[in-house]
Amino acid sequence: MVSVRSTLVALALALTAASGCTELPASGVARGQVLYTNCEQCHGKSGEGSTLVQAPPIAGLPAWYIEAQFLHFQTGLRGAHPDDVEGLKMRPMSRTVKDPADVKVVAEYVASLPAVKTEATMGGDATKGQAAFATCAACHGADGQGNPDLKAPKIAGQADWYVVRQLTKFKGGVRAYDPADTAGATMKGIAGTIPDEAAMRDLAAYIHTL
Amino acid sequence: MLEHYMKQGSSYASHIDGLVWMIFLMVGFWFLFAEGMFFWLLWRYRKKPGEKAAYFDEHAEHKIKYNWVEIPHRLILVCDVALIVGAISVWTEVKISMPQTDETVRITAQQWAWTFQHAGPDGELDTMDDITTVDELHVQLGKTYKFELASKDVIHSFSVPLFRLKQDAIPGRVITGWFKPTLAGEFDVQCTEICGIGHGIMPAKLHVDTPEEYAAWLANPSHYLAYHY
Ligand code: HEC
Ligand code: HEC
Ligand SMILES: [Cu+2]
Repeated sequence: MVSVRSTLVALALALTAASGCTELPASGVARGQVLYTNCEQCHGKSGEGSTLVQAPPIAGLPAWYIEAQFLHFQTGLRGAHPDDVEGLKMRPMSRTVKDPADVKVVAEYVASLPAVKTEATMGGDATKGQAAFATCAACHGADGQGNPDLKAPKIAGQADWYVVRQLTKFKGGVRAYDPADTAGATMKGIAGTIPDEAAMRDLAAYIHTL
Repeated sequence: MLEHYMKQGSSYASHIDGLVWMIFLMVGFWFLFAEGMFFWLLWRYRKKPGEKAAYFDEHAEHKIKYNWVEIPHRLILVCDVALIVGAISVWTEVKISMPQTDETVRITAQQWAWTFQHAGPDGELDTMDDITTVDELHVQLGKTYKFELASKDVIHSFSVPLFRLKQDAIPGRVITGWFKPTLAGEFDVQCTEICGIGHGIMPAKLHVDTPEEYAAWLANPSHYLAYHY
């Protein structure tokens, strides 16, 4: 019995080796790079995102923010609202990386990727957006590079469709629906003051140019 | 026997299992009978000293050969009729008929989550006290539920092994059905129609609550996955 089992195990190992499966480095950004292959399908090979699956560009976002959001998806602080169509897609994916140390290295790898500029798609007015951006600069910085002390992420150059979608979600309580999401609650309060979708598009158009 | 592997937790689970058993026994009997016959004949008419192996006994009556085919053939037809009668009656009970139901629950499938809209304390859907949850369905033991199943994007399939219930969710359609839980506990819901990269990781939890547990859940839906509409 034991010998049958060990033969099977040996066979399985031999097959795995023969199939050329990538070996997983023990730690570091190299490990993050291999783990990132699980994300490529949606976020793209260079983290450029995909409008098809509505997955945002994430290349070059700060590692602390990527890690925090990833854990929010895992624990249900983000992406668990019944109306969050895109969030509910990311939610199960966040559970494919179970070890917190792995979340850290994958976040570090994504942060190390050069930011990718996407095409503008929403047709907002960047000049009007620039005027309205004064409010945002307090936390996200005048150049949109973010401020880790305020937990405000980098938003400069982010895809305009994604910015409009997130502002809509914050405003409607589809993101930051849980009081435990304190950083989200801050942003939710601000999003509530943006009058309408046209204003969101203008803001997004300006943020996209940063 | 099947119950040993997966508990029966709905009013019709044992009927589905009965049907599976019936098919298994009938097919199993004919399989063993035919294979037994086959090997016995091979052995019986093997090559012997002074006797050649033969495909058939040239001296046997035509009638005998005819009976070997015709009698089992008719018996199998009888089995078929029994199976069809059994299958149609269970199908009618589970999928066609709609008994008097106590409550309705709305189930929405999407890539890659299940959303459940519960009627809440007043027992009526589309009222202020509805409770909408993600990946978590609460029902009461012994109550009969009607469900309205829809999909937001592609085809999914709502499968509750405990209930022996499986129903495709088709975008653009609302498909109704029913179930009556008969076993309290926490069980699995899974998607059984390939629906994209997250298909394998869109499970949900089914809670079959006793009246006390259900009342407690109703009174405290502040779980972060629960929403008041
Ligand atoms: C099935 C497609 C899919 C896969 C695979 C996927 N994601 Fe996502 N991800 C999304 C979508 C869609 C969103 C946008 C959610 C929203 O709109 O709120 C998202 C959002 C995110 C965000 C939030 C970005 C922000 O600016 O707030 C991070 C971080 C993220 N994903 C990281 C990852 C990582 C790391 C992996 C791999 C382990 C991964 N994702 C795999 C679809 C996916
Ligand atoms: C009081 C500080 C503050 C101000 C002012 C503020 N934000 Fe934010 N913003 C945040 C924080 C904190 C987050 C992170 C939320 C989270 O962790 O979910 C955030 C997140 C965002 C995101 C989501 C980024 C992503 O990758 O998902 C967008 C888009 C955004 N802010 C746009 C704006 C715009 C546009 C304005 C101006 C109208 C603005 N913010 C003003 C604090 C602020
Ligand atoms: Cu599915």
